[in-house]
Amino acid sequence: MKLLTHNMLTSHVKGVTKGYPLLIKATEVKVNEVDFNPQFVTRMIPKLEWSALVHAAEELGQRQDLPDELVPEYENNEEFLKKVHRVLLEVEVIEGCLRCPESGREFPISRGIPNMLLNEDEV
Amino acid sequence: VWRSTCYGFDTVRCTVRCWRAHTAGTSLLSRCPSSRCRCRCRRVERVPLILITGRSYRSEPEREVYLQRPEERGGERCNLHGGRHDTVRRLHAAAWTNMMEEAASQLERDHVHSVYDKIAPYFNDSRYKAWPKYLHINEEVFKLGCDVCRPLVDFAWSQGHEVQMCDGLHLPYRDGCFDAVLSIAVIHHLSTKERRIRAIKEMARTLQVGGRIMIYVWAMEQKRRRFEKQDIFVPWNPNPHSPSGFKAEHPAPRRRAAAQSVTEAIDNTDKHRKVRSTSSVADEEDLSGTTPQQSTQRLWFFSRSLDSVFDFGSLSISRSSSRDLSTLSPPTGENEGNKASRRGRGQRLIKQVSSFFYPPSAIGSEEDVFDSVPGLNKGQNDPGGNNNATTTTNDNNNGPANQTVSVSLAQECGSLALPDLVPFQEHLKPSGDEGRGGLQGEEQQQSTRSPQGSEGQAEGSCLRYYHVFREGELAELIENHVEELHVKHTYFDHANWCVVAEKVQVWRI
Repeated sequence: MKLLTHNMLTSHVKGVTKGYPLLIKATEVKVNEVDFNPQFVTRMIPKLEWSALVHAAEELGQRQDLPDELVPEYENNEEFLKKVHRVLLEVEVIEGCLRCPESGREFPISRGIPNMLLNEDEV
Repeated sequence: VWRSTCYGFDTVRCTVRCWRAHTAGTSLLSRCPSSRCRCRCRRVERVPLILITGRSYRSEPEREVYLQRPEERGGERCNLHGGRHDTVRRLHAAAWTNMMEEAASQLERDHVHSVYDKIAPYFNDSRYKAWPKYLHINEEVFKLGCDVCRPLVDFAWSQGHEVQMCDGLHLPYRDGCFDAVLSIAVIHHLSTKERRIRAIKEMARTLQVGGRIMIYVWAMEQKRRRFEKQDIFVPWNPNPHSPSGFKAEHPAPRRRAAAQSVTEAIDNTDKHRKVRSTSSVADEEDLSGTTPQQSTQRLWFFSRSLDSVFDFGSLSISRSSSRDLSTLSPPTGENEGNKASRRGRGQRLIKQVSSFFYPPSAIGSEEDVFDSVPGLNKGQNDPGGNNNATTTTNDNNNGPANQTVSVSLAQECGSLALPDLVPFQEHLKPSGDEGRGGLQGEEQQQSTRSPQGSEGQAEGSCLRYYHVFREGELAELIENHVEELHVKHTYFDHANWCVVAEKVQVWRI
């Protein structure tokens, strides 16, 4: 599970109002090498919840020097884009779990795939 | 809105051939009174009536459903026609919804999820390539894929895609985070209309305003023939013949082109796209591409839709069906008023109703379907039992335990409208006009599937449940029930109906 994916995921347990963002508890993290595409990153940034991304990166200890707030004029700031690219696409959680911030329910991640299926009583 | 129906009279039901319920004025008939019934049946039985009254749920947050059996003792006044009905039982509407929901998920669990889990390892490359194709559509796009089937999701991940396990009715994505959504061959596995609508609404929720969704479902209208009914069980054929394998190649490029045109229609900037698919497209082609030689292997099991099983518009209960259910559950020798165990029976009911919905293990021709009837009716035509049961001087404990009227509420409801199951063999005409006519009739028909046949799946095959769509059905579903989506295109693509819709802003005053 990449952090870009994590940015989109939310807890949908019944009754939960603030199920986003999910807290990550990772037991196995991998950092891959992915081709850098500045255009892709530039266009993806507006779709992100920036604070959730930073928080997630920090949880994994991969934040490095990612700023708290979005840098203005980031389209031309290649260094910044590279940092974002790394955190979004190169860091991957292979094993661990995602925790709902409100209910505490844990969604397991195994073999890189988060299992967001709910039990019958949680639906 | 609930319907209110009151039957002031008992109905009788022809028990030999046509299984239709007819209104009767006299107490006991020996001839089937219906002019529509062409059979020369001699045996009829009295059928207890169901009355359901309820209030419109628009006005009240909760509604009550009353089920009444006229021949039962005790009594409260029927608030519709003032007559005295014997026992009025109330069942909270929420319980009905829960029951229906459970039955639907049970069905899907057994006939979609577990089947795909079993057959996923057999999805070899040629069949499976369609799904990865959706994820390979455009490298500039960030795609997330999801499915309930673990083996399929694993496979997609091994191909390098970001995928999750999730339920289509509860998508784990935040609102408005996708620019495009693809749903390929998913919606048709949902067993009720309400669930299908919910799934579409869920996908629309994750779409950004202006984003587009493309839904592919199996069409009822196939190239060479139509499915006879919309709700079917399809056996999984693990050994596709080479002709169909070959055919699989052909339409795939077309589909890709279709998908790509959607890509271009949408803003060219990088975007998110979500893909959901449970079956390979190639798999679908197998069905339409079968040659006559293969047809004998193909047995479609038709069923009544789960929606209609729980439809209480106009009903009659068959005593024999009560018996069928009774034989499944532990003998209900207890008297009425055993409220404590009612809930437990409700749970059991789900299994029983669902199990009646399942295709039987072996179906032959129409005659087989009716063969079991005389055996069941033996006890019923016993004059001692039958006569007394229908008048107001009913003795609750007459005859065999399972004929007793003191079945639980849940069981009564479950004994309604058992689905009729007809095997359809391609190129083979269904036998028995009468039976056919009966089964296609609008009235609730009795399934003569006796309990022994109804449990479990057909031997040796995995049956997948499908609700195939008529022309315009999907578009209509979206237009009428999903206000946040606006249909843009509809087309037929090689045995599938495809709808492209756009998310629109909905303003609430």
